[in-house]
Amino acid sequence: MPSAVDKSEEIVERFVELKDTSELMIDLAYSSLLLNSRELAEDVQTLEENVDRLHTDFELLVLSTDFKSEEARGFLGLIRLGVATEKIADAAKDIAEVVLRGIEPHPVLKLAIEEAEETVTYVQVAGNSGLVGKTLKAAKIPAETGMWVLAIRRDNRYVRPKPQTRIEAGDVLIASGYAEGEEDLKKLASHQTEF
Amino acid sequence: MPRLERIEYRPVPVRDLLIEMKNLSELMIDLAYSAALFDDKELAEDVLELENRVDTLAYLLEMEIMIAARDARDAEILTGVSEVAAAADKISDAAADIAAVVTQNIGVHPIVSKVFEKVEERLARAKVSQDSEFVDRKTGELDLAARMGVDIIAICRNRDWIIDPKDDEIVAVDDVLIARGAPSGIGRFKEVAGGRLHGKEI
Repeated sequence: MPSAVDKSEEIVERFVELKDTSELMIDLAYSSLLLNSRELAEDVQTLEENVDRLHTDFELLVLSTDFKSEEARGFLGLIRLGVATEKIADAAKDIAEVVLRGIEPHPVLKLAIEEAEETVTYVQVAGNSGLVGKTLKAAKIPAETGMWVLAIRRDNRYVRPKPQTRIEAGDVLIASGYAEGEEDLKKLASHQTEF
Repeated sequence: MPRLERIEYRPVPVRDLLIEMKNLSELMIDLAYSAALFDDKELAEDVLELENRVDTLAYLLEMEIMIAARDARDAEILTGVSEVAAAADKISDAAADIAAVVTQNIGVHPIVSKVFEKVEERLARAKVSQDSEFVDRKTGELDLAARMGVDIIAICRNRDWIIDPKDDEIVAVDDVLIARGAPSGIGRFKEVAGGRLHGKEI
């Protein structure tokens, strides 16, 4: 069996993906509630299914590693972290389900989420857009458009946006913000723009 | 079996309860991962304490919701509020599960924690000692982001939690500051909060 060292890179990668996805889901779930957006809520459902699969893969990977008996605690710790990410993802799904039930969420929920979001938009990045190849930090999307990137959908995967995340052609940016920023973001994503 | 304390009803706006539950549960996730990945027992204890607080808030919220429902239509809409509160509670439970990995001395295998030490920002707590230069100063004046790449994201004062403190929040002796930053900056931040390092040395 491969030892812990051989598999460490893969274990770390899978864990980071689980952690990031579950946290992304929380953000998307609250946004879906705030905007009463069925589309966002459905994204959360899709992600929850992904997490279930990722979590099983992660557990199998950890358990199929040939670890020494003195490493058992550390590996148990990894399993426990995985279970927690799955629980977080599940909680996000519960929030999204409030939207999917089709009853307008109680106004107090919007007050509690307290963010200046009016709308959510899905914008695909064209191959010749000035955004391609830029990191999110360099792209300065909030400053340019007033829209905030909640998530990036890339080849049926969802990427949690970090400042160093590089935008690729074909990415779908899921962004929220004031309604008037929507057009600016669409322009930025489609045309070759200098700034 | 530990006896649970009775939680007396007291009127608190549902909005306030929800905001606090949401903010605390999100803070707890960050704290819990930092506690687990950097094997920080004190942070883990903070998470467990916050988990109790969220449980109390959830209980109070449930009572408010029951009082607020007058008819079937109300009940239908308020159930959504109750579900969101339950989800925030579940998130805080998950954070406590992560913290328990530390408090139960299970620990996370170094193959994962090593990677986080290199790349990730971390959260850390520091108690403000009376000879720290932070005392009686506004958080905004401390200029922590520029000086050491650190942000204060929460303050625990007399067991109350101030999340995302404003720039004019004045730091007091015995405050527990929760900060986010790169490991090197966090190290210096702890020294300054503890009064072991002063102005010019930074």
